[in-house]
Amino acid sequence: MIFLNVDNPSWMITPIIVPLTAGLLCFLFQRKTFAIALSAVLVNLLAACFLIGQLLTCGPMRYSMGGWQAPLGITLRTDGPAVLMLLMTGVTGFAITLYARGYFSFRIDDPGGTDRHQQQQRYFWPLWLLLLAGLNGLFLSNDIFNLYITLEIIGISAASLAALSGKPAARLASFRYLLSSLLGSLTFLLGIVFLYKSCGLLDLDLLRNLTENGPGVRAALALMSVGLLLKTALVPMHFWLPPAHANALAPVSAILSALVIKGSFYLLFRLWFEVFASSITTEALNVMGGLGAGAILWGAIQAMRQHRLKLMVAYSTVSQLGYLFVAFPLSRAADNAQVWSIVIFMAMAHACAKSAMFMSAGTIFLHFGHDRIQDLTGVRASLPITVLAYGIAGVTLMGLPPSGAFIAKWLLLSWALASCQWWWVLVIIAGSAMAMIYVFRVISRFIVIPEGFSSQKLEFHSRLLEWPALALALISLLLGLVAPWLLHILAKGSIDLTQILPGGLP
Amino acid sequence: MPKTRNRHKRLDGFQRLFLLLVVCLITLLGCILSTIPNSAPGLADAVARLQERSGVKSPVTAVLLNFRAYDTMLEVVVLLLAVIGSWSLTKSPLPEQDTDISPVQMGVVRLLAPVMCLVAAYLVWQGSHLAGGAFQGGAILGAAGVLILVSDFPWIRTIPALPLRIGLVLGPLFFVGIALCCLFFTGKLLGYPEGTAGWLILLIEAACALSIGITLASLFAGGRPDNTMKKIQPPAKHPPGKSL
Repeated sequence: MIFLNVDNPSWMITPIIVPLTAGLLCFLFQRKTFAIALSAVLVNLLAACFLIGQLLTCGPMRYSMGGWQAPLGITLRTDGPAVLMLLMTGVTGFAITLYARGYFSFRIDDPGGTDRHQQQQRYFWPLWLLLLAGLNGLFLSNDIFNLYITLEIIGISAASLAALSGKPAARLASFRYLLSSLLGSLTFLLGIVFLYKSCGLLDLDLLRNLTENGPGVRAALALMSVGLLLKTALVPMHFWLPPAHANALAPVSAILSALVIKGSFYLLFRLWFEVFASSITTEALNVMGGLGAGAILWGAIQAMRQHRLKLMVAYSTVSQLGYLFVAFPLSRAADNAQVWSIVIFMAMAHACAKSAMFMSAGTIFLHFGHDRIQDLTGVRASLPITVLAYGIAGVTLMGLPPSGAFIAKWLLLSWALASCQWWWVLVIIAGSAMAMIYVFRVISRFIVIPEGFSSQKLEFHSRLLEWPALALALISLLLGLVAPWLLHILAKGSIDLTQILPGGLP
Repeated sequence: MPKTRNRHKRLDGFQRLFLLLVVCLITLLGCILSTIPNSAPGLADAVARLQERSGVKSPVTAVLLNFRAYDTMLEVVVLLLAVIGSWSLTKSPLPEQDTDISPVQMGVVRLLAPVMCLVAAYLVWQGSHLAGGAFQGGAILGAAGVLILVSDFPWIRTIPALPLRIGLVLGPLFFVGIALCCLFFTGKLLGYPEGTAGWLILLIEAACALSIGITLASLFAGGRPDNTMKKIQPPAKHPPGKSL
């Protein structure tokens, strides 16, 4: 069958259609939802691996929806960054799905549990699977209006997930999140209006080839960037992030912090460095870098000051996002194949580490009933694997070798020094030092067992609550070791437009 | 105190500054928008050129359900997501029973609701050649649903959740199913086989209109159907002493 050929670009719709269908089925049946969800995320992970293989053998591909070619129809494409983000989503999503199963079973089996937890689980699966479909759609889409729709899917499902815990604080935070996210989407849409009016095109490849650089395009770029920055929670616009991420259920926090933020960032980076690369000025890049530096410092300072574990982890997300933006002024110096390397390493390492951290924090919260850092002494005695996962994830946040974050920071430092922009070096080192402080502040409490301390015996242990977090933490730690392989994929993926295969089959 | 100021609808300095900035921004954007030359060709020509191959006569439907059907498929999912989100939050706060609904309203709704369903069906069919389609038909259906909801017909409360869920998912699921069938037969996702585009589009639109109508009405109802209420209600309606 011609359809099953390895070089058929149709394969790239698998990561979108499979979670989408599974999400709809989960909502319809409401029974055996975990089986549906697990098979969907498994297929999604396999599809991501397959697409990487396809990229390595056949190069970047385009796929036209319905066979309608680019100016009118919608195109999907695979290239290095896209498949690596798919892989990140696939791996993290798989682990989060397992963890969510453990999390909900733990709460439903809890004797004091109520119908509420069952309801939460019932609506968690369809929302999560549709969110996954939206994210994969975002990574693959090559059409700016289609990107807006994927942003809508992501925003609405993410806000609903954030409200799932049902606590008043979570609802308030999620409402704020929904409003900011909608404002971001609508600003993005307004940008599309400007863009369409000035260029009359929606396809990213065609937009890139356009030499048009009038005020309309610049206004469009500014509007879209502001909308995406609001969704990515760069520092002056981060106000919604810590409460929304900290008050959500633990698997939801992991999803929001690890994946959702990366979606809008990925889109922003693609717009700045691929589509509108010719319109970007050095000043604009420096503004982004400056905001990123502010994010690193402010997020880290806030993280050090927090008394609650989940809030601390949420503020560390604010801080870690800053590195992605400091890469903006520095990536300018890189050549085409390397532009993506820093942000991809940073995003992948952070996705794995941060979801591992939120999972650990959630497990600790489940077993102890609170997450006040002060009272979490000697957790190691009762939850050794969780503490280990937390510690390893902390190593990644600090950026120690051999984690993927180390590679990213190393590249950042070397490019900063090579282009004589030493001030970024100071920020990066200060951020890492502060990350060390806020990670060790918690770890030391976990690990030190004071004299006469009797560890709480926990009668119920779920392996699903501990091992996915450890696995993700280890992946984030060992990411640096496979760095050459990832760089190879990135280099392979950035072959320019001359080699694009025509989408669809004749 | 900011609260008392708000009550008197007086703006404080920060709000005034914010308002000023927003007005400036809107003016700036308006100026930029008006300076953009109308030279960009847009995609209207391409639509007109390919219209014949789309299987429908209305350019809007051709774009929505054929050229960019993938967008519409995801858009329908967005609507469904809104319902899933609202269902995950709360049970439907339908008003207490025994509220007095005027007989005039009941009569009008009894007359209007079937007619509205008919109009919705007509709009969906009309979508193939004139203005109309799934979203318009769905909006009319949704309005009919809202009328029925506010008139508080007793059977509204006893609708079980499963048929409602089937109705909600029908549109998106049917859409995805057709897309996958097309992939199987023509090798292209949403690439309708030659000659069948018109019929398939009509089918998709009918399913989506139904789902959109139920979606809008469910959003108005404001939460998931309360299945526990059925069990509690009979004793509430007929107190134990009188019921048997």
